[in-house]
Amino acid sequence: MVEKKINTVYDVVCPFCGTLCDDLEVDVNIKENLVVEVRNACQIGTKKFFSSNPSPHRYEKPLIKDNGTFKEVSWDEAIDIAADILAKSKRPLLYGFASTECEAQSKGVELAETLGGILDNTASVCHGPTLLAEQDVGVPTSTLGEYKNRADLIIFWGSNPVHAHPRHLGRYSQFVRGYFRKDGRNDRFIIVVDPRNTHTAQIADLHIQVNPNEDYELMNGIRAMLRGVELDAKMISGIPIEKIKELIKILKECKYGVIFFGMGLTQSLAHHRNIDTAICLTRELNDYTKFLITPMRGHYNITGANTVFTWNTGYGYSIDFSRGYPRYNPGEFSSVDLLMRDEIDASLIVASDPASNFPAASVKNLFKHPLISVEPHHTPTSENADIILPAAFAGIECEGTAYRMDHVPIRLRKVKDAPGECLTDREILEKLILKVKEKLGE
Amino acid sequence: MSLENLILLTGRTINQGVALEGGKTTKENVRAAGICAIDKDDFKKLDSIVGTPVKITTDFGEVVVYSTISEEGPHPGIIFIPMGPWANQLVNPDSQSCGTPTYKGMKAKLEIIQTGKVLDALELIKTLKEA
Ligand code: SF4
Repeated sequence: MVEKKINTVYDVVCPFCGTLCDDLEVDVNIKENLVVEVRNACQIGTKKFFSSNPSPHRYEKPLIKDNGTFKEVSWDEAIDIAADILAKSKRPLLYGFASTECEAQSKGVELAETLGGILDNTASVCHGPTLLAEQDVGVPTSTLGEYKNRADLIIFWGSNPVHAHPRHLGRYSQFVRGYFRKDGRNDRFIIVVDPRNTHTAQIADLHIQVNPNEDYELMNGIRAMLRGVELDAKMISGIPIEKIKELIKILKECKYGVIFFGMGLTQSLAHHRNIDTAICLTRELNDYTKFLITPMRGHYNITGANTVFTWNTGYGYSIDFSRGYPRYNPGEFSSVDLLMRDEIDASLIVASDPASNFPAASVKNLFKHPLISVEPHHTPTSENADIILPAAFAGIECEGTAYRMDHVPIRLRKVKDAPGECLTDREILEKLILKVKEKLGE
Repeated sequence: MSLENLILLTGRTINQGVALEGGKTTKENVRAAGICAIDKDDFKKLDSIVGTPVKITTDFGEVVVYSTISEEGPHPGIIFIPMGPWANQLVNPDSQSCGTPTYKGMKAKLEIIQTGKVLDALELIKTLKEA
Protein backbone atom coordinates (compact mmCIF):
# COMPACT_ATOMS: atom_id res chain seq x y z
CA MET A 1 0.00 0.00 0.00
CA VAL A 2 1.24 3.45 -0.83
CA GLU A 3 1.76 5.52 2.27
CA LYS A 4 -0.50 8.56 2.39
CA LYS A 5 1.58 11.71 2.41
CA ILE A 6 -0.93 14.50 2.03
CA ASN A 7 -3.92 14.89 4.28
CA THR A 8 -6.66 17.32 3.28
CA VAL A 9 -8.61 19.00 6.06
CA TYR A 10 -11.99 20.38 4.99
CA ASP A 11 -14.18 23.16 6.42
CA VAL A 12 -11.19 24.78 8.05
CA VAL A 13 -11.81 28.17 9.68
CA CYS A 14 -9.46 31.02 8.78
CA PRO A 15 -7.99 32.58 11.91
CA PHE A 16 -7.15 35.99 10.51
CA CYS A 17 -9.99 38.48 10.19
CA GLY A 18 -13.42 38.87 11.75
CA THR A 19 -15.11 37.38 8.66
CA LEU A 20 -13.94 34.02 10.01
CA CYS A 21 -14.44 32.17 6.70
CA ASP A 22 -15.23 28.54 7.49
CA ASP A 23 -14.90 26.89 4.08
CA LEU A 24 -11.15 26.52 3.68
CA GLU A 25 -9.43 23.35 2.51
CA VAL A 26 -5.90 22.84 3.70
CA ASP A 27 -3.47 20.19 2.43
CA VAL A 28 -0.95 19.08 4.99
CA ASN A 29 2.15 16.98 4.40
CA ILE A 30 1.66 14.72 7.40
CA LYS A 31 5.15 13.28 7.43
CA GLU A 32 6.83 16.64 7.59
CA ASN A 33 3.99 18.44 9.36
CA LEU A 34 3.83 21.22 6.74
CA VAL A 35 0.99 23.15 5.17
CA VAL A 36 1.45 22.63 1.42
CA GLU A 37 -1.74 24.06 -0.09
CA VAL A 38 -4.59 26.30 1.01
CA ARG A 39 -7.77 26.59 -1.04
CA ASN A 40 -10.63 29.13 -0.77
CA ALA A 41 -8.84 31.57 1.55
CA CYS A 42 -7.94 35.11 0.48
CA GLN A 43 -4.34 36.21 0.06
CA ILE A 44 -3.98 37.10 3.75
CA GLY A 45 -5.60 33.94 5.09
CA THR A 46 -3.45 31.79 2.80
CA LYS A 47 -0.30 33.53 3.98
CA LYS A 48 -1.24 32.95 7.61
CA PHE A 49 -1.45 29.18 7.10
CA PHE A 50 1.86 29.04 5.22
CA SER A 51 3.57 31.22 7.79
CA SER A 52 2.85 28.61 10.46
CA ASN A 53 5.42 26.32 8.82
CA PRO A 54 8.86 26.35 10.48
CA SER A 55 10.91 29.32 9.24
CA PRO A 56 13.50 31.76 10.53
CA HIS A 57 10.55 33.95 11.55
CA ARG A 58 9.01 31.43 13.90
CA TYR A 59 9.93 30.85 17.54
CA GLU A 60 10.18 27.24 18.54
CA LYS A 61 11.81 27.41 21.99
CA PRO A 62 11.37 29.66 25.03
CA LEU A 63 13.88 32.51 24.95
CA ILE A 64 15.26 34.86 27.56
CA LYS A 65 17.18 38.03 26.86
CA ASP A 66 20.64 37.88 28.29
CA ASN A 67 22.92 40.88 27.71
CA GLY A 68 20.96 42.00 24.68
CA THR A 69 20.74 38.62 22.92
CA PHE A 70 18.23 35.84 23.27
CA LYS A 71 19.27 32.52 24.75
CA GLU A 72 17.26 29.32 24.74
CA VAL A 73 15.98 28.08 28.07
CA SER A 74 13.68 25.31 29.27
CA TRP A 75 9.95 25.92 29.70
CA ASP A 76 10.30 25.56 33.47
CA GLU A 77 12.95 28.25 33.63
CA ALA A 78 11.08 30.62 31.31
CA ILE A 79 7.80 30.25 33.20
CA ASP A 80 9.58 30.71 36.52
CA ILE A 81 11.23 33.97 35.47
CA ALA A 82 8.08 35.26 33.77
CA ALA A 83 5.94 34.44 36.82
CA ASP A 84 8.50 36.14 39.03
CA ILE A 85 8.30 39.37 37.00
CA LEU A 86 4.50 39.34 37.08
CA ALA A 87 4.18 38.42 40.76
CA LYS A 88 6.59 41.18 41.81
CA SER A 89 5.03 43.81 39.60
CA LYS A 90 2.62 46.30 41.18
CA ARG A 91 0.77 47.32 38.03
CA PRO A 92 1.14 44.63 35.36
CA LEU A 93 -0.66 45.05 32.03
CA LEU A 94 -2.02 41.95 30.28
CA TYR A 95 -2.77 42.92 26.71
CA GLY A 96 -3.62 41.31 23.36
CA PHE A 97 -5.89 38.25 23.24
CA ALA A 98 -7.68 39.10 19.97
CA SER A 99 -5.78 36.55 17.88
CA THR A 100 -6.26 33.57 20.11
CA GLU A 101 -9.15 31.31 21.09
CA CYS A 102 -11.74 31.82 23.82
CA GLU A 103 -10.37 29.25 26.30
CA ALA A 104 -7.00 31.03 26.31
CA GLN A 105 -8.79 34.37 26.72
CA SER A 106 -10.56 33.17 29.86
CA LYS A 107 -7.21 32.02 31.25
CA GLY A 108 -5.97 35.56 30.62
CA VAL A 109 -8.83 36.87 32.78
CA GLU A 110 -7.90 34.43 35.55
CA LEU A 111 -4.26 35.47 35.47
CA ALA A 112 -5.13 39.19 35.54
CA GLU A 113 -7.44 38.65 38.49
CA THR A 114 -4.81 36.61 40.35
CA LEU A 115 -2.27 39.37 39.80
CA GLY A 116 -4.60 42.26 40.55
CA GLY A 117 -3.45 43.61 37.20
CA ILE A 118 -4.93 45.37 34.20
CA LEU A 119 -6.60 43.37 31.49
CA ASP A 120 -7.09 44.80 28.03
CA ASN A 121 -7.53 43.57 24.48
CA THR A 122 -6.98 45.07 21.06
CA ALA A 123 -10.51 46.52 20.95
CA SER A 124 -8.86 49.20 23.05
CA VAL A 125 -7.24 50.60 19.89
CA CYS A 126 -9.86 49.70 17.26
CA HIS A 127 -13.52 49.04 18.09
CA GLY A 128 -13.48 50.05 21.76
CA PRO A 129 -15.59 53.11 20.82
CA THR A 130 -18.12 50.70 19.28
CA LEU A 131 -18.50 48.91 22.61
CA LEU A 132 -18.88 52.24 24.40
CA ALA A 133 -21.57 53.33 21.98
CA GLU A 134 -23.42 50.02 22.19
CA GLN A 135 -23.46 50.38 25.97
CA ASP A 136 -24.84 53.91 25.55
CA VAL A 137 -27.58 53.37 23.01
CA GLY A 138 -27.92 49.63 22.30
CA VAL A 139 -27.56 48.21 18.80
CA PRO A 140 -30.01 46.91 16.19
CA THR A 141 -28.03 44.13 14.56
CA SER A 142 -28.21 40.68 13.00
CA THR A 143 -26.01 37.95 11.57
CA LEU A 144 -24.11 37.87 8.30
CA GLY A 145 -26.30 35.04 6.98
CA GLU A 146 -29.42 37.21 7.33
CA TYR A 147 -27.71 40.08 5.53
CA LYS A 148 -26.62 37.81 2.73
CA ASN A 149 -30.14 36.50 2.17
CA ARG A 150 -32.09 39.71 2.69
CA ALA A 151 -30.14 42.96 2.40
CA ASP A 152 -30.66 44.99 -0.78
CA LEU A 153 -28.77 48.05 0.45
CA ILE A 154 -25.27 47.73 1.85
CA ILE A 155 -23.37 50.70 3.24
CA PHE A 156 -19.68 50.49 4.04
CA TRP A 157 -19.00 53.49 6.25
CA GLY A 158 -15.32 54.06 7.01
CA SER A 159 -14.50 50.48 6.13
CA ASN A 160 -12.63 49.07 3.15
CA PRO A 161 -13.34 45.33 2.96
CA VAL A 162 -11.48 44.85 -0.34
CA HIS A 163 -8.34 45.35 1.75
CA ALA A 164 -9.29 44.50 5.32
CA HIS A 165 -11.90 41.72 4.96
CA PRO A 166 -11.33 40.49 1.41
CA ARG A 167 -13.91 37.67 1.30
CA HIS A 168 -16.65 39.56 3.13
CA LEU A 169 -17.87 40.89 -0.22
CA GLY A 170 -17.94 37.51 -1.89
CA ARG A 171 -19.45 35.62 1.02
CA TYR A 172 -21.97 38.02 2.53
CA SER A 173 -22.32 41.49 1.20
CA GLN A 174 -21.81 42.03 -2.49
CA PHE A 175 -21.44 39.36 -5.16
CA VAL A 176 -22.99 36.40 -3.35
CA ARG A 177 -26.48 35.16 -4.23
CA GLY A 178 -28.91 35.12 -1.29
CA TYR A 179 -32.32 33.52 -0.75
CA PHE A 180 -34.14 36.78 -1.55
CA ARG A 181 -31.24 38.24 -3.54
CA LYS A 182 -31.11 35.66 -6.29
CA ASP A 183 -29.26 37.87 -8.72
CA GLY A 184 -26.37 38.54 -6.34
CA ARG A 185 -24.62 41.82 -7.06
CA ASN A 186 -27.44 43.09 -9.29
CA ASP A 187 -29.90 42.74 -6.43
CA ARG A 188 -27.89 44.92 -4.10
CA PHE A 189 -27.14 48.63 -4.07
CA ILE A 190 -23.75 49.37 -2.53
CA ILE A 191 -22.80 52.70 -0.95
CA VAL A 192 -19.35 53.56 0.36
CA VAL A 193 -18.77 56.55 2.64
CA ASP A 194 -15.06 57.30 2.82
CA PRO A 195 -12.74 60.30 2.33
CA ARG A 196 -10.77 58.25 -0.19
CA ASN A 197 -12.01 56.64 -3.38
CA THR A 198 -11.11 53.24 -1.95
CA HIS A 199 -11.05 50.04 -3.94
CA THR A 200 -14.36 49.18 -2.27
CA ALA A 201 -15.75 52.57 -3.38
CA GLN A 202 -14.56 51.86 -6.92
CA ILE A 203 -16.84 48.83 -7.17
CA ALA A 204 -19.78 50.47 -5.37
CA ASP A 205 -22.85 52.12 -6.89
CA LEU A 206 -22.44 55.33 -4.95
CA HIS A 207 -19.43 56.90 -3.26
CA ILE A 208 -19.98 59.62 -0.68
CA GLN A 209 -16.59 61.30 -0.37
CA VAL A 210 -16.95 62.80 3.10
CA ASN A 211 -14.28 65.15 4.49
CA PRO A 212 -11.91 63.44 6.96
CA ASN A 213 -13.13 63.65 10.57
CA GLU A 214 -16.54 65.01 9.52
CA ASP A 215 -18.64 61.85 9.52
CA TYR A 216 -20.36 62.95 12.71
CA GLU A 217 -21.71 66.11 11.09
CA LEU A 218 -22.83 64.21 8.00
CA MET A 219 -24.71 61.57 9.99
CA ASN A 220 -26.43 64.16 12.14
CA GLY A 221 -27.28 66.15 9.01
CA ILE A 222 -28.92 63.05 7.56
CA ARG A 223 -30.80 62.46 10.83
CA ALA A 224 -32.11 66.00 10.86
CA MET A 225 -33.18 65.89 7.22
CA LEU A 226 -34.84 62.54 7.82
CA ARG A 227 -37.04 64.32 10.35
CA GLY A 228 -37.96 66.92 7.79
CA VAL A 229 -35.67 69.71 8.96
CA GLU A 230 -34.64 72.07 6.14
CA LEU A 231 -30.95 72.77 6.76
CA ASP A 232 -29.62 76.21 6.01
CA ALA A 233 -26.43 74.93 4.33
CA LYS A 234 -25.32 74.08 0.81
CA MET A 235 -22.93 71.36 1.90
CA ILE A 236 -22.40 69.15 4.91
CA SER A 237 -18.95 67.62 5.41
CA GLY A 238 -18.10 68.30 1.78
CA ILE A 239 -21.29 66.68 0.41
CA PRO A 240 -23.81 68.90 -1.43
CA ILE A 241 -27.28 68.94 0.18
CA GLU A 242 -28.82 67.70 -3.08
CA LYS A 243 -26.67 64.60 -2.97
CA ILE A 244 -27.63 63.98 0.65
CA LYS A 245 -31.32 64.24 -0.30
CA GLU A 246 -30.72 61.64 -2.99
CA LEU A 247 -28.96 59.43 -0.45
CA ILE A 248 -31.83 59.73 2.04
CA LYS A 249 -34.28 58.68 -0.66
CA ILE A 250 -32.23 55.56 -1.30
CA LEU A 251 -32.04 54.80 2.42
CA LYS A 252 -35.79 55.13 2.91
CA GLU A 253 -36.77 53.16 -0.15
CA CYS A 254 -34.67 50.04 0.36
CA LYS A 255 -36.27 46.87 1.71
CA TYR A 256 -33.48 45.87 4.06
CA GLY A 257 -30.42 48.01 4.67
CA VAL A 258 -27.27 47.37 6.64
CA ILE A 259 -24.39 49.59 7.66
CA PHE A 260 -21.00 47.93 8.01
CA PHE A 261 -18.72 50.43 9.69
CA GLY A 262 -14.99 50.31 10.32
CA MET A 263 -12.14 52.16 11.90
CA GLY A 264 -12.85 55.19 9.73
CA LEU A 265 -15.46 55.97 12.38
CA THR A 266 -13.89 54.58 15.55
CA GLN A 267 -10.39 55.98 15.06
CA SER A 268 -11.27 59.48 13.87
CA LEU A 269 -11.90 62.50 16.07
CA ALA A 270 -15.42 61.87 17.33
CA HIS A 271 -14.64 58.21 18.24
CA HIS A 272 -17.63 56.66 20.09
CA ARG A 273 -19.83 59.67 19.32
CA ASN A 274 -19.60 58.65 15.66
CA ILE A 275 -20.89 55.19 16.52
CA ASP A 276 -23.61 56.54 18.84
CA THR A 277 -24.89 58.59 15.94
CA ALA A 278 -24.55 55.80 13.39
CA ILE A 279 -26.59 53.51 15.63
CA CYS A 280 -29.23 56.20 16.22
CA LEU A 281 -29.46 56.84 12.48
CA THR A 282 -29.92 53.10 11.93
CA ARG A 283 -32.66 52.97 14.56
CA GLU A 284 -34.44 55.99 13.08
CA LEU A 285 -34.37 54.49 9.60
CA ASN A 286 -36.49 51.66 11.00
CA ASP A 287 -39.40 54.12 10.96
CA TYR A 288 -39.32 53.69 7.19
CA THR A 289 -37.82 50.28 6.47
CA LYS A 290 -35.68 47.55 8.01
CA PHE A 291 -32.18 48.78 8.89
CA LEU A 292 -29.36 47.16 10.87
CA ILE A 293 -25.73 47.85 11.71
CA THR A 294 -22.63 45.69 12.30
CA PRO A 295 -19.01 46.62 13.04
CA MET A 296 -16.33 45.19 10.74
CA ARG A 297 -14.18 43.63 13.43
CA GLY A 298 -10.52 43.18 12.49
CA HIS A 299 -8.82 40.38 14.41
CA TYR A 300 -10.55 37.05 13.97
CA ASN A 301 -11.49 36.63 17.63
CA ILE A 302 -11.64 40.16 18.99
CA THR A 303 -15.41 39.72 19.30
CA GLY A 304 -14.63 36.62 21.39
CA ALA A 305 -12.19 38.56 23.57
CA ASN A 306 -14.87 41.17 24.32
CA THR A 307 -17.45 38.45 24.94
CA VAL A 308 -15.24 36.27 27.16
CA PHE A 309 -14.02 39.26 29.19
CA THR A 310 -17.62 40.42 29.59
CA TRP A 311 -19.04 37.14 30.87
CA ASN A 312 -16.12 36.84 33.30
CA THR A 313 -15.90 40.41 34.57
CA GLY A 314 -18.91 42.31 33.30
CA TYR A 315 -16.79 44.43 30.93
CA GLY A 316 -15.40 43.98 27.43
CA TYR A 317 -11.98 45.67 27.73
CA SER A 318 -9.99 48.20 29.83
CA ILE A 319 -10.44 46.31 33.09
CA ASP A 320 -8.53 46.96 36.31
CA PHE A 321 -8.34 44.31 39.07
CA SER A 322 -6.12 46.29 41.44
CA ARG A 323 -8.85 46.58 44.07
CA GLY A 324 -9.59 42.87 43.93
CA TYR A 325 -12.72 43.30 41.83
CA PRO A 326 -13.09 44.35 38.22
CA ARG A 327 -13.45 48.06 37.41
CA TYR A 328 -13.94 49.42 33.92
CA ASN A 329 -12.91 52.79 32.61
CA PRO A 330 -11.64 53.31 29.07
CA GLY A 331 -9.35 56.34 29.02
CA GLU A 332 -8.05 55.32 32.43
CA PHE A 333 -7.43 51.56 32.21
CA SER A 334 -7.02 51.37 28.43
CA SER A 335 -3.50 50.35 27.39
CA VAL A 336 -2.41 53.39 25.38
CA ASP A 337 -3.64 55.82 28.03
CA LEU A 338 -1.92 53.82 30.79
CA LEU A 339 1.30 53.81 28.80
CA MET A 340 1.07 57.52 28.01
CA ARG A 341 0.89 58.14 31.77
CA ASP A 342 3.75 55.63 32.26
CA GLU A 343 1.68 53.83 34.83
CA ILE A 344 2.56 50.17 34.30
CA ASP A 345 5.66 48.38 35.57
CA ALA A 346 5.53 45.10 33.61
CA SER A 347 3.57 43.68 30.69
CA LEU A 348 2.45 40.35 29.32
CA ILE A 349 1.50 40.55 25.67
CA VAL A 350 -0.48 37.62 24.27
CA ALA A 351 -0.77 37.16 20.49
CA SER A 352 -0.40 40.83 19.69
CA ASP A 353 2.14 43.38 18.55
CA PRO A 354 1.59 46.68 20.35
CA ALA A 355 5.06 47.93 19.39
CA SER A 356 3.83 48.08 15.79
CA ASN A 357 0.28 49.11 16.54
CA PHE A 358 0.43 51.69 19.33
CA PRO A 359 1.39 55.35 18.86
CA ALA A 360 5.17 55.78 19.16
CA ALA A 361 5.06 57.80 22.39
CA SER A 362 3.28 54.99 24.22
CA VAL A 363 5.62 52.30 22.86
CA LYS A 364 8.57 54.10 24.45
CA ASN A 365 7.03 53.58 27.87
CA LEU A 366 6.14 49.96 27.13
CA PHE A 367 9.83 49.23 26.61
CA LYS A 368 10.89 50.83 29.89
CA HIS A 369 9.62 47.88 31.90
CA PRO A 370 9.95 44.07 31.73
CA LEU A 371 8.02 42.70 28.77
CA ILE A 372 6.89 39.09 28.30
CA SER A 373 5.69 38.10 24.86
CA VAL A 374 3.54 35.03 24.11
CA GLU A 375 3.93 34.89 20.36
CA PRO A 376 4.50 32.44 17.49
CA HIS A 377 6.35 34.91 15.21
CA HIS A 378 9.13 37.45 15.24
CA THR A 379 7.46 40.84 15.70
CA PRO A 380 8.83 44.23 16.74
CA THR A 381 7.22 43.59 20.17
CA SER A 382 8.67 40.11 20.70
CA GLU A 383 12.11 41.10 19.45
CA ASN A 384 12.23 43.80 22.14
CA ALA A 385 10.81 41.54 24.86
CA ASP A 386 12.70 40.15 27.83
CA ILE A 387 11.05 36.74 27.63
CA ILE A 388 9.51 35.02 24.63
CA LEU A 389 7.11 32.15 25.23
CA PRO A 390 6.63 30.43 21.84
CA ALA A 391 2.99 29.73 21.06
CA ALA A 392 1.11 27.46 18.71
CA PHE A 393 -1.27 29.12 16.24
CA ALA A 394 -4.83 28.78 17.47
CA GLY A 395 -7.00 27.60 14.60
CA ILE A 396 -4.06 26.00 12.80
CA GLU A 397 -2.15 24.10 15.46
CA CYS A 398 -4.85 23.76 18.10
CA GLU A 399 -8.62 23.86 18.34
CA GLY A 400 -10.69 26.40 20.18
CA THR A 401 -13.68 28.67 19.77
CA ALA A 402 -13.77 32.04 18.04
CA TYR A 403 -16.56 34.61 17.58
CA ARG A 404 -17.25 36.04 14.13
CA MET A 405 -17.84 39.80 13.83
CA ASP A 406 -21.59 39.18 14.18
CA HIS A 407 -21.14 37.24 17.45
CA VAL A 408 -21.60 33.80 15.90
CA PRO A 409 -19.26 31.36 17.69
CA ILE A 410 -17.41 28.98 15.40
CA ARG A 411 -15.21 26.05 16.38
CA LEU A 412 -11.68 26.42 15.04
CA ARG A 413 -9.96 23.35 13.62
CA LYS A 414 -6.50 21.98 14.03
CA VAL A 415 -4.74 21.05 10.80
CA LYS A 416 -1.20 20.28 11.97
CA ASP A 417 1.05 20.12 15.02
CA ALA A 418 3.01 23.10 16.26
CA PRO A 419 6.74 22.97 15.55
CA GLY A 420 9.48 22.62 18.17
CA GLU A 421 8.49 23.11 21.77
CA CYS A 422 5.59 25.50 21.12
CA LEU A 423 2.65 25.22 23.50
CA THR A 424 -0.84 26.60 23.01
CA ASP A 425 -1.68 30.02 24.48
CA ARG A 426 -4.01 28.30 26.92
CA GLU A 427 -1.31 25.93 28.15
CA ILE A 428 1.18 28.77 28.56
CA LEU A 429 -1.30 30.87 30.55
CA GLU A 430 -2.22 27.88 32.72
CA LYS A 431 1.43 27.34 33.58
CA LEU A 432 1.81 31.02 34.41
CA ILE A 433 -1.29 30.99 36.63
CA LEU A 434 0.01 28.00 38.62
CA LYS A 435 3.45 29.50 39.04
CA VAL A 436 2.18 32.97 39.94
CA LYS A 437 -0.19 31.47 42.56
CA GLU A 438 2.71 29.50 44.01
CA LYS A 439 4.82 32.65 44.26
CA LEU A 440 2.00 34.65 45.79
CA GLY A 441 1.52 31.87 48.32
CA GLU A 442 -2.02 31.11 47.19
CA MET B 1 9.79 70.22 -2.79
CA SER B 2 7.15 69.96 -0.15
CA LEU B 3 3.40 69.90 0.41
CA GLU B 4 1.82 71.52 3.43
CA ASN B 5 -1.59 71.39 5.10
CA LEU B 6 -2.23 67.80 4.16
CA ILE B 7 -4.44 65.44 6.12
CA LEU B 8 -2.96 62.09 7.07
CA LEU B 9 -5.16 59.01 7.10
CA THR B 10 -4.01 55.54 8.12
CA GLY B 11 -5.67 52.16 7.65
CA ARG B 12 -5.43 48.59 6.51
CA THR B 13 -4.26 47.44 3.12
CA ILE B 14 -4.16 43.91 1.82
CA ASN B 15 -0.39 44.01 1.34
CA GLN B 16 0.07 45.21 4.88
CA GLY B 17 -2.17 42.34 6.05
CA VAL B 18 -0.17 39.79 4.10
CA ALA B 19 3.10 41.17 5.45
CA LEU B 20 1.79 40.86 9.03
CA GLU B 21 1.84 37.12 8.85
CA GLY B 22 5.37 36.01 9.36
CA GLY B 23 6.96 38.97 7.66
CA LYS B 24 6.80 41.80 10.16
CA THR B 25 10.54 42.08 10.47
CA THR B 26 11.22 41.74 6.73
CA LYS B 27 11.60 44.05 3.74
CA GLU B 28 8.16 42.87 2.60
CA ASN B 29 6.69 44.81 5.51
CA VAL B 30 8.63 47.95 4.54
CA ARG B 31 7.29 47.72 0.98
CA ALA B 32 3.77 47.16 2.33
CA ALA B 33 3.56 49.70 5.14
CA GLY B 34 6.63 51.98 4.97
CA ILE B 35 4.98 53.94 2.19
CA CYS B 36 2.88 57.01 1.70
CA ALA B 37 0.16 57.07 -0.98
CA ILE B 38 -0.25 60.55 -2.44
CA ASP B 39 -3.03 61.88 -4.64
CA LYS B 40 -2.04 61.87 -8.34
CA ASP B 41 -2.28 65.62 -8.85
CA ASP B 42 -0.56 66.39 -5.57
CA PHE B 43 2.22 64.05 -6.61
CA LYS B 44 2.77 66.01 -9.84
CA LYS B 45 3.47 69.11 -7.79
CA LEU B 46 6.35 67.28 -6.14
CA ASP B 47 8.13 66.88 -9.46
CA SER B 48 9.72 63.61 -8.43
CA ILE B 49 9.51 59.92 -9.21
CA VAL B 50 7.65 57.16 -7.40
CA GLY B 51 9.72 55.58 -4.67
CA THR B 52 11.56 58.75 -3.67
CA PRO B 53 11.80 58.88 0.12
CA VAL B 54 9.64 61.54 1.72
CA LYS B 55 9.63 62.89 5.24
CA ILE B 56 6.17 63.24 6.78
CA THR B 57 5.78 65.48 9.80
CA THR B 58 2.78 65.92 12.10
CA ASP B 59 2.38 67.57 15.50
CA PHE B 60 3.17 64.19 17.01
CA GLY B 61 6.32 63.09 15.19
CA GLU B 62 8.05 62.51 11.89
CA VAL B 63 9.02 59.53 9.76
CA VAL B 64 10.68 58.80 6.43
CA VAL B 65 8.77 56.53 4.04
CA TYR B 66 8.71 55.79 0.29
CA SER B 67 6.34 57.85 -1.84
CA THR B 68 3.78 56.23 -4.13
CA ILE B 69 0.84 57.46 -6.19
CA SER B 70 -2.46 56.50 -4.63
CA GLU B 71 -4.53 53.85 -6.38
CA GLU B 72 -7.47 54.92 -4.26
CA GLY B 73 -7.71 58.48 -5.48
CA PRO B 74 -8.59 61.09 -6.25
CA HIS B 75 -8.22 62.42 -2.73
CA PRO B 76 -6.54 65.83 -3.07
CA GLY B 77 -4.96 67.09 0.12
CA ILE B 78 -5.08 63.67 1.75
CA ILE B 79 -2.12 61.31 2.20
CA PHE B 80 -2.41 57.70 3.33
CA ILE B 81 0.05 55.51 5.23
CA PRO B 82 -0.95 51.89 5.92
CA MET B 83 -1.32 51.11 9.61
CA GLY B 84 1.90 49.94 11.24
CA PRO B 85 5.02 51.27 12.90
CA TRP B 86 5.64 53.99 10.29
CA ALA B 87 2.16 55.49 10.55
CA ASN B 88 2.34 55.24 14.32
CA GLN B 89 5.25 57.68 14.52
CA LEU B 90 2.79 60.32 13.32
CA VAL B 91 -0.58 59.58 14.89
CA ASN B 92 -2.23 61.43 17.74
CA PRO B 93 -1.97 59.27 20.91
CA ASP B 94 -4.77 61.21 22.61
CA SER B 95 -7.84 59.05 23.00
CA GLN B 96 -9.97 61.79 24.55
CA SER B 97 -10.70 59.35 27.34
CA CYS B 98 -12.17 56.60 25.19
CA GLY B 99 -9.07 54.42 24.98
CA THR B 100 -8.63 54.57 21.22
CA PRO B 101 -5.98 56.97 19.92
CA THR B 102 -6.84 59.24 17.01
CA TYR B 103 -5.17 57.29 14.23
CA LYS B 104 -6.82 59.26 11.44
CA GLY B 105 -7.03 62.85 10.34
CA MET B 106 -3.82 64.50 11.57
CA LYS B 107 -2.55 67.66 9.87
CA ALA B 108 0.66 66.75 8.05
CA LYS B 109 3.51 68.12 5.98
CA LEU B 110 5.38 66.18 3.31
CA GLU B 111 8.92 66.92 2.04
CA ILE B 112 11.01 65.23 -0.59
CA ILE B 113 14.35 64.36 0.94
CA GLN B 114 17.52 63.59 -0.95
CA THR B 115 19.33 61.82 1.83
CA GLY B 116 17.43 59.86 4.37
CA LYS B 117 16.81 56.23 4.90
CA VAL B 118 13.53 54.41 5.23
CA LEU B 119 14.10 52.32 8.33
CA ASP B 120 12.71 48.79 8.58
CA ALA B 121 10.24 47.97 11.35
CA LEU B 122 12.86 46.70 13.79
CA GLU B 123 15.20 49.66 13.23
CA LEU B 124 12.33 52.05 13.65
CA ILE B 125 11.06 50.46 16.86
CA LYS B 126 14.61 50.28 18.19
CA THR B 127 14.78 54.07 18.07
CA LEU B 128 11.87 54.07 20.53
CA LYS B 129 13.60 51.65 22.83
CA GLU B 130 16.73 53.77 22.86
CA ALA B 131 14.85 57.01 23.33
S1 SF4 C 1 -11.61 37.18 4.46
FE1 SF4 C 1 -10.66 37.12 6.48
S2 SF4 C 1 -11.34 35.16 7.36
FE2 SF4 C 1 -11.77 35.08 5.15
S3 SF4 C 1 -9.96 34.06 4.27
FE3 SF4 C 1 -9.57 36.29 4.17
S4 SF4 C 1 -8.49 36.79 6.07
FE4 SF4 C 1 -9.40 34.76 6.32
